[in-house]
Amino acid sequence: MTVSYSEGRPDIDRRRHVSDYFRLERWEVPPPDGGEGPSSLLGRAPVEPHQRGAGGGLRTGGLLTSLDSLGGITSGLAVLPQRIVTTSLMATVSELSHVGPLRLQADVLRRGRTSVVTALDVVDEGAGDCHVAAATMTCAVLDPGAMQLEFERPFVLAMPEPQADPVRPEEFFCIEPGEGPVTRLRLEDQLRNPWGILHGGAVAMLADEAACRATVAAHPGAAGPNGVAATDVVLHYLRPVKVGPVEARCTVLGTRAGRTAVRVAIHDAGADDRMVTVGSVTALAV
Amino acid sequence: MAFGGYPPPEHLLGDLGMEAVLTTETTARVRTRVTPQVASPAGGVRAGVLATLVDIVGGAIAARVLRPDWMATADLTLQLVGPVLGPCVEARGSVVRRGRTTLVIEALVVGVDEDGNDLVVDGRTPDPVAWASMTFAVLPAQNPASSVQMAADLPMRWAFTGGGLELPILDALPVTVLDGAVGRLSVPVRPYLHNSFRAIQGGVIALMAEAAGAEALGAAQGGDGSTVVVTDLQIAYLALGKAGPIVSEARVLGTGPDGRAGAVVELRDAGADDRLMTVINVTAEPVALLARATS
Repeated sequence: MTVSYSEGRPDIDRRRHVSDYFRLERWEVPPPDGGEGPSSLLGRAPVEPHQRGAGGGLRTGGLLTSLDSLGGITSGLAVLPQRIVTTSLMATVSELSHVGPLRLQADVLRRGRTSVVTALDVVDEGAGDCHVAAATMTCAVLDPGAMQLEFERPFVLAMPEPQADPVRPEEFFCIEPGEGPVTRLRLEDQLRNPWGILHGGAVAMLADEAACRATVAAHPGAAGPNGVAATDVVLHYLRPVKVGPVEARCTVLGTRAGRTAVRVAIHDAGADDRMVTVGSVTALAV
Repeated sequence: MAFGGYPPPEHLLGDLGMEAVLTTETTARVRTRVTPQVASPAGGVRAGVLATLVDIVGGAIAARVLRPDWMATADLTLQLVGPVLGPCVEARGSVVRRGRTTLVIEALVVGVDEDGNDLVVDGRTPDPVAWASMTFAVLPAQNPASSVQMAADLPMRWAFTGGGLELPILDALPVTVLDGAVGRLSVPVRPYLHNSFRAIQGGVIALMAEAAGAEALGAAQGGDGSTVVVTDLQIAYLALGKAGPIVSEARVLGTGPDGRAGAVVELRDAGADDRLMTVINVTAEPVALLARATS
């Protein structure tokens, strides 16, 4: 297996296509005094009107996509020349309404032989650094084999320009319109990462959308005046998504005090329907 | 019952009185009684106690699936869903994926009767009490760090039995509140709270995180640890806590208009150069909000 930055789509760089949609700027902060510890990374992204959700700010699936992008590069740099794959993402969202830009920070908590654990934090610069989310991400460390990603150090990626023809996240991530407990995503090439598998952020966005649809379908009364919005999310990435279409199957566990707990199981329908991700989403009436 | 001497006769797991049954090669159930000693400020069961139950059911499954290898909990999440009804709660766990280095298990916690039967209320099965997930890191067989060597044939049923809790569980540990506003709490490391590595047990870590988060979030709203109820725990276990005391600190993230709030709690081993052991994302709701929802 080889790494392809643009296989089949010369106009797309798989290393940054998804994070560019959210205009995520990233820069590495090496340890002070040239220490041997892992670098931290900082990021900044505006909150574009077409990316806002029912809560008024960047929808949680988008927030998780940026966290996955920043945490992934942080973890990857920490274990070079080995490579990483995200195995779990646990996020708690404290503020759904954002002014923007959002500032993100990633710090390695533990760098082990087989895994890296990274803490992620998001504040809203436009709202006096109001706290937005905290997350913990775990990545498995893999033998790189023949796969080598190249990075200039310190790693810096400027904020991409706004899209000329902006589309909503559901369209960008090829999530099919629908309602009810099952939501599907078409696995288009532009959603694959450099390893050729579905970007973890796309999985997060699918979980967000699917859980909100399932909540409204099961308990129409669970929605507020603006609907429902995903807040706390747990995702266990079990296997890579290689084929598609991808199907999120939701079980509404219960509703209490305006919050609905939803179990989300995501399957790769084209790969013997195997389960690729399992987790939970809290949907909040907004 | 004890496995290779674990847990010892005087142990928190025994006092919680857990009964376990392996239902298949990859599923298990663990049940405990609902008592006032494990009640949350809203009257349900503390999230930390449910996390302990979940950790045990996950460990029971993992021990069977991974033998002769051993395991350590890498992360655990728990999300409260519905109120606790019935005299007992039961965690029902199943394997989601077994990999080379990790095992992922999910669990549903439900209210049951004394015999473990599902409850029926108003002609229907009530919502589950909680949903949970765990990742276990696989440790090679004969790992010298663990005090437990797995028997070739694990029993299909067992129970951890003890004298029961005479005090509220946080007092039994005991947890000492040093500065509630910043979630600074302390708990000693002693055999009563050990895991099989002679470090502090994962469920105790969950209990301490719950208490620290509640103290800080309650204080941020003008109350204390008894005025909020922790509903969600997202725990990343980074290192064992062997020396002690274990000291927590909480950072309040924000409070929504209805009082729902989040915090990040860090646990450090004060006796081991303040080594960072665990990071926990905690979400809590005011007792009054939950009371309105269940009335």
